[in-house]
Amino acid sequence: MIVLAILLLSGASCLLVVSNIPLKTDVPTTTPLAFLKSSFRGFVLNVNNDYRYMKTGYFVSLHAEILGNDVVPTTENAVDVYRPPILLTRAAKNGTPTAPFILTDSVKQIMAEFAFPVVVFPVNPFMFNVFQVAENRAALYRAVKSLSMNYRYAVCAQPLHGEILHVKSFFGECSIEDDGVRKIAKKVYETFKIPVCKLLLQRFDGEAYLCGLQPLKLEEILPSDVDMISKIVSWFSGKGWFD
Amino acid sequence: MGHEFNFMFRSGLSEIPKYDAVFIRATTDPLYTAYVVSRTAWVLGLRVVDDPESIRICANKIHQYKLFEKYDVPHIPTLFLNKEEFHHRQIEEIFELFGKPVVIKAPYTSFSKYVEKVSCETSFREVAKRFFRRSDYIVVQRFMPSRFDWRVGVLNGEVLYVCKYMMPKGKWKHGVKRRGKPSFVWGRTVTLKRDNAPQRLKETALKACSVIGKGLYGVDIKEINGDYVVVEVNDNPSIYKDQEDLRDKDIYERIIKFLAE
Repeated sequence: MIVLAILLLSGASCLLVVSNIPLKTDVPTTTPLAFLKSSFRGFVLNVNNDYRYMKTGYFVSLHAEILGNDVVPTTENAVDVYRPPILLTRAAKNGTPTAPFILTDSVKQIMAEFAFPVVVFPVNPFMFNVFQVAENRAALYRAVKSLSMNYRYAVCAQPLHGEILHVKSFFGECSIEDDGVRKIAKKVYETFKIPVCKLLLQRFDGEAYLCGLQPLKLEEILPSDVDMISKIVSWFSGKGWFD
Repeated sequence: MGHEFNFMFRSGLSEIPKYDAVFIRATTDPLYTAYVVSRTAWVLGLRVVDDPESIRICANKIHQYKLFEKYDVPHIPTLFLNKEEFHHRQIEEIFELFGKPVVIKAPYTSFSKYVEKVSCETSFREVAKRFFRRSDYIVVQRFMPSRFDWRVGVLNGEVLYVCKYMMPKGKWKHGVKRRGKPSFVWGRTVTLKRDNAPQRLKETALKACSVIGKGLYGVDIKEINGDYVVVEVNDNPSIYKDQEDLRDKDIYERIIKFLAE
């Protein structure tokens, strides 16, 4: 929680939470649509299940920036996190353990770099919450053809050891009892400050490695998750409590 | 000038760190591979045109027009329409305010694509529905017909070239899709020497670019009753042989100098 505290100290005196998730907090909160019509000046905490480019969560951060406000997350980070190559490059630069990756549209290049199985992520404007695992050459051809939209876009390929773990992260906090995973969630939040997201990780040789990050669907956010987010937001504002 | 260059395609993207600078000539959009290249090069400390910030602003017309509003850049009267507030009364109000027809733009428009003119509620709804697939907001603008749009190329806050993008006969935009075919009809390009272009035109173009960044831009400007209004600023502007580079031959030298600085 050190990162949050620093933000609060350096931020503006007035905090507004903009959320499409019904939070249980006393902190001044508004909806994205109401905020987008306002000219609020102060610090904006944008709590949304989806910050993808051109979606409402993104426009909230953009509006806050154009008004000259400090905002979490920034539009720059919101764009970066959903593009696996940028996510992994920046996360690795900040000391997060990441899986090796290659950005290409060539199956041969992927096979030359990595042994099977391989996990393939799309890097195109139309797919955001999918990936495919290829166990052999034929499956890899199918995965690349489909995720590159018939070789029109590049894909991001990584070697796969074991399984992909899906971890919900709220302000860098997650409910999994695994030090490696918790450390990655904290580090990713420290680097990109995405309040609500799903981390994709691999675990091998006793270590966890970051593979990707995706938006959560609203129905994936359970009542217990809403409680957790609300507590953190209350703590964040300095008005509430955190246990 | 003593510099070397290589072409890089999708299969060679892992070689970005080997270079000193990257010059992108591909459709730039934050969701395309070109943005990944630009951002990666930027994070690695390389000089890059187009830089990620310019891509984010130019590829998102909502971002761009909001900056124009904030910094008083003269631009075409513009409204933003949200997916959740899209209803009959709002469409009527827009027609009352701007008259008919109006122009609807998807925020990710480029090369005259995803810009359509509508004159009735039915076509308004049909076009808006299509554009809302990729964006929760769209842009609606007053229709301001003209025989040509000025195109001012700007690099690092200086005018690089000036030309007129003529509209094809009977059309209202520079590039128009042929009915029932995938190909486009493009209007002629008339190039001027940048020193001979109107001073106020160049000033308007530079003011529009100043709110975006220091990269390479193509500014589209309409001349309406002697006033200049910005239509939009594009990153990754087209530069074709004997068109944009016809009058000012130092375009490429300036770009290379900028990249090698």
